[in-house]
Amino acid sequence: MPKILLVEDNEMNRDMLSRRLEKRGYTLLIAVDGGVGVALAKSDKPDLILMDMSLPVIDGWEATKQVKADPATAHIPIIALTAHAMDSDRQKAIGAGCDDFDTKPVELSRLLGKIEELLKKFPPKA
Amino acid sequence: MTVAPNNVKSLPFRWQLTLFIVMICGLTLSLAFAGLYLYDVQQFDTEIQRRLEKTRSVLIDSLEPMLEQNPNATDLPLHLLAADVQITAAAVYSADGRLLGRYLKPGTNETIPPLQRGVSQILTNDPGVVWYPIRSNTHLLGTLYLKAELSDADVDRFSNLLRGSGIVFLASSLLAFVAAYRLQRRITQPITELAQVSASVQRERDYGIRVSSSASGEIGLLIDSFNAMLDTIQSNTTALDHARMAAEESREKIHEANDQLEEANRTLEARVEDRTRLLVKASKDAEEASKAKSSFLAKMSHELRTPLNAIIGYSEILREDAVDDGDTRTADDLDKVLNAARHLLGLINDVLDISKIEAGKMELYLETFELQKILSDVVATATPLVGKKGNSLRIDCPPDIGTMHADATKLRQMLLNLLSNASKFTENGTITIKASRLPGVVADTIELAVIDTGIGMNSEQLSRLFQAFSQADASTSSKYGGTGLGLAISKQFAQMMKGDISVSSTPGTGSIFTIRLPADVQVKQPVVVHTGQRLTKSPFPLEASKPRILIIDDDDEVRLVIAELLKMSEYETSEAGSGQQGLEYAAQNKPDLIILDVMMPGGIDGWTVLTKLQGNRALADVPVVVLSGANDTEMAMSLGASSVLLKPVNAARLTAEIALQLSPLARCYVLVVEDDPDGRDIVVRMLEKEGWQFRAAINGNAALHVLKKGHPSIILLDLKMAGMNGFEFLENLGQNPAWAAIPVVIISSMDITPEMRDYLSPRVLAILQKGKFNREDLAALVRPAIQTCVLAEN
Repeated sequence: MPKILLVEDNEMNRDMLSRRLEKRGYTLLIAVDGGVGVALAKSDKPDLILMDMSLPVIDGWEATKQVKADPATAHIPIIALTAHAMDSDRQKAIGAGCDDFDTKPVELSRLLGKIEELLKKFPPKA
Repeated sequence: MTVAPNNVKSLPFRWQLTLFIVMICGLTLSLAFAGLYLYDVQQFDTEIQRRLEKTRSVLIDSLEPMLEQNPNATDLPLHLLAADVQITAAAVYSADGRLLGRYLKPGTNETIPPLQRGVSQILTNDPGVVWYPIRSNTHLLGTLYLKAELSDADVDRFSNLLRGSGIVFLASSLLAFVAAYRLQRRITQPITELAQVSASVQRERDYGIRVSSSASGEIGLLIDSFNAMLDTIQSNTTALDHARMAAEESREKIHEANDQLEEANRTLEARVEDRTRLLVKASKDAEEASKAKSSFLAKMSHELRTPLNAIIGYSEILREDAVDDGDTRTADDLDKVLNAARHLLGLINDVLDISKIEAGKMELYLETFELQKILSDVVATATPLVGKKGNSLRIDCPPDIGTMHADATKLRQMLLNLLSNASKFTENGTITIKASRLPGVVADTIELAVIDTGIGMNSEQLSRLFQAFSQADASTSSKYGGTGLGLAISKQFAQMMKGDISVSSTPGTGSIFTIRLPADVQVKQPVVVHTGQRLTKSPFPLEASKPRILIIDDDDEVRLVIAELLKMSEYETSEAGSGQQGLEYAAQNKPDLIILDVMMPGGIDGWTVLTKLQGNRALADVPVVVLSGANDTEMAMSLGASSVLLKPVNAARLTAEIALQLSPLARCYVLVVEDDPDGRDIVVRMLEKEGWQFRAAINGNAALHVLKKGHPSIILLDLKMAGMNGFEFLENLGQNPAWAAIPVVIISSMDITPEMRDYLSPRVLAILQKGKFNREDLAALVRPAIQTCVLAEN
């Protein structure tokens, strides 16, 4: 089953999303801040990362940059999750290296669609 | 009188006059007396002569016969002469000169003089003396000597006369003196007073004094005139004093007014400063408020959505669990919760959108996308909603509709809004999205129509449609849902993209909402940017006619903005909307400077305009400032532009450049020919301190243009330049006798080969290697050229 790393500092969001994704059959890794997120990405090499943009320690943009800068993890697709619906944030996310972008509140079907698309594009290294 | 009165002339006038009169009198008297005296004396002489005559003839009568008888007789009766007191001496000489007889009056000490021989004269000098020859009828008998004098009585009489005369003389003189002194007053007094008054008037400047005495005749006239003159002077002086006082007053008033003006000025300046400070503060406050608003909106966005996310999220989970567990009732309840939550979320989103729009914080994110994809996305999202009321959804979109350059997200939102509205107000009907591309002259328009067969709206409802918070009527929201903001937001979005939403509707039949947008949404970038730097005003502010500048640009707005800017900088402007118009206008009214936009699609393009301008003899020397969007600096300069500015143009830079181009070329300047702007900067900065004037050219061509305007004193030349390089330029320079004498210093980064050196050495003053010379080296080469030029000018 594809392994998804969820980097999200908000407990409720974390809970909701992970439960629903697990129900759909994904294996979830949890990171509560940017630093842990980057570390987990390096150590566990998930198949996809859902990165909240507003994180403590290192924010989502910085964490994305770091993941993409490391050749070992650069291949992992990252979907940015942001509560800010402003276009500048979207631009910023893409600029940081995110492969896609979704707004919160998460519309599960939409998000699932994006996850599936990216996993198709970047198949998990079995 | 300050002069010592030794000189008669310096005596007071009245003494002079007095003296004069006395002198005249004295003179007259003297003359009179002299005359009288002489007359008297003459009378006496005549008397004496008469007496003598008488006596003589008597004597002769008696002496003659006696001497005839006896020529040597000595008993002559001379003693008889004693009877006559006037005879003082007598003598008779014989014919041979012997004294025969004599008589001397007793008491005198007369002597008988010897005979005067050869006397034929009877009279001698002394009238009282007579020698008379005594003659007979035939021969001389002897000579008679007689001397007579005035008798004492006569003498007394004479001296009495004299004394009397003297007394009369003195008395007369005294009388004359007194009379003169008295009388002279009549004349001198007015004159003296006149003199005194004149003197005191002059000394004390008191023009109130008048000459009080009067006189008749010319003196009177003089006094009257003098007094009249003093009147005039006095009244003039008074008038002058008044005028002076008035002037003083005026001056004081002017000073006061000036002071007040200065005061007012200072106050004004202070107020302006205050106002400016306030404005700056207000602007800063506004900026901060704006920033606060942005951050508020962002925060609100986050703060409001987060709990809502939780509600929706967990409700969804619970619902899924319920469905999995087969608990339909719980699932339904949770559906209700979800609906309410989603509705709330919709409200929050709309409110945030409207807030952003009204705060001016809504931005466009433009991208190029396939229209068909957006439509299918939207339809996919809307299908469940549409299906709820038994409606069917159709897409009518030509397959070649192609791409669009716009804000995709907003377009999606707009379409969803329209679809949601359509499905709200339609039951068991059809909702169609119709997309079409309308080709246009300048650009295409995309039309997206949402057509429904719903309940429609009447005209009153239509009129309130796009207003925020107004739904068709108050009950709509409860019956149909919705926030009332959706259409307002959609309309704003359309307008932001330079499009619009229109609606037509027939109650009972349906409605058509049409979104019309440009296929290529362009957000206008300002062409001219103000950075708050000071604008450079015209270099000829005092001249009656301001420099005329022709603006050639196809964009109306840009022309307007630039024209405004130039007018503020004291220039006159004319505009041309196309290259053709520009060329025609320039040919007819030669402007002082042309601003040319080279990006003018349609008609003659900017480069052609530039070439034609340069090709026209009459216009070739008009400086052209080119506004370009891309990096066409070299091309522009090669074609003859005086200067190139990239868009967006900095207002301050534009005005500075114009002022520079319009200023006459400095007489003694240094021409720097260098394509690298940093290289130019370095050289200019090195030599700036010397106070020399500089002109720059980016290649040989541009340099030749500058040369045609005016000779520099020295040229600093780079070798490697695009367009005409240094060598070619030197060639051109050498061929023109007017330019061949201008000294050239090569400043190049190239490695100079011996062949190059051979070529260059005779043509140039010096060859400097970039980075290997210092300020003083360069200055030492340039200084003599400038000095020669300056000396030649003066």
